[in-house]
Amino acid sequence: MTLPRRLLCFITDEDSSCPVELARMALAGGAGMVQLRRKKAYGRELYEWAVRIQELCRQNRAIFIVNDRVDIALAMHADGVHLGQQDLPVEAARHLLGKDALIGVSVSSPEEAASAAHLGASYLGVGHIYMTGSKEKSTEPIGTASIRPISQVSALPVIAIGGITRDNASLVMKAGASGIAVISAISANRNPEVATRELITIIRQ
Amino acid sequence: MVIVPEIAFMPEKRTTLPRLMMVSSGNEHLHSNPGVALSQTGVLGRSAPVIFQLREKGIDTGTLYRLSCLIAPAIEASGSILCINERFDIALASGAAGVHLPESSAPPDVVRKTAPSLITGRSVHSLASALADAEAGLDYLLFGPVFHTPSKEPFGPPQGLVKLREVCRSVSIPVFAVGGITPERSPACIEQGAYGVAALAPFLDLPKLPDTINRFQSTLPA
Repeated sequence: MTLPRRLLCFITDEDSSCPVELARMALAGGAGMVQLRRKKAYGRELYEWAVRIQELCRQNRAIFIVNDRVDIALAMHADGVHLGQQDLPVEAARHLLGKDALIGVSVSSPEEAASAAHLGASYLGVGHIYMTGSKEKSTEPIGTASIRPISQVSALPVIAIGGITRDNASLVMKAGASGIAVISAISANRNPEVATRELITIIRQ
Repeated sequence: MVIVPEIAFMPEKRTTLPRLMMVSSGNEHLHSNPGVALSQTGVLGRSAPVIFQLREKGIDTGTLYRLSCLIAPAIEASGSILCINERFDIALASGAAGVHLPESSAPPDVVRKTAPSLITGRSVHSLASALADAEAGLDYLLFGPVFHTPSKEPFGPPQGLVKLREVCRSVSIPVFAVGGITPERSPACIEQGAYGVAALAPFLDLPKLPDTINRFQSTLPA
């Protein structure tokens, strides 16, 4: 599976009572991919949400992936997973999920990008580009200037993440990203569907 | 013509589960040296087989995977069984033989279908859960807390031996008793119909570990 160009990925937030509703609104606004990410959820909740979000993604011809939990992705035949540097190694996930699965890997340097590409990643999540409140970060933002050196070490699509809003999305795309991933730019907006549509308009310009 | 039954060529399938389960400390850290689980599993070759449940909520997925890869070979070589708590992806990727599902896991029948090669057990805290899970084709159940134990307080007050007996009589798969289990309390659980027992705290005293395992084993049916 390959990623469409100029992709908007919505990542579920950690706190909303039901990530399914937010996913529904993001998909209605045109998001091409949803990543279910709930670090503190029980397996049962995660599975139930995943079933419902996957169905919504199917209806909207969008891609559905699960953060970290290869077990949940396997159980429901999700399109793939997104792995952080602290998660299961890419090659282990690839072995379990098969060659067609979409496996994204978070990277923040050309070295990590080269390694992920070599070990079988399908795309790179590159960040965090800007300061972000959605995830607790112990490192400094890498900035838009870091996108191109990372994208140049492989042919893999680069999805930029971290503090991306409608004010800076255009800069991020010009810096070499093939798409963006957001949490709060959609989840914290009063109208998540409209926020999604606006972001898509910006990244497609 | 001699017809050789096909079954003769089937690989030997493990049919009997060990009757003692060691639950890992829950205190593994990225850089703890040598690591409690590593020390605990290091002595397994010198005792009767056990189920070692790796249950470490405080470390990230990658660290858990590496720890599992590290201890799996010695556990399997000793005839014991490594069960990873909840994460059957880690079990499959690291060569562990089983997965142990908490009651809050994804549906057990789904896990069973997704990872049919794994020995699959589950924690239950009520008769209703036990009955539902027995239908899911699981290999064993873990019922408790039978006795009072500080580590299981989130699961409510002790269930007691009467409820243990009820569960054991109601399902046909092996039931392990958990919660405040010691070698002294183990025989009472077996009398109520438990297949085996599971514990955490008694196995933390590393110098005494071989002796502790032997004391447990002497209370369990051969």
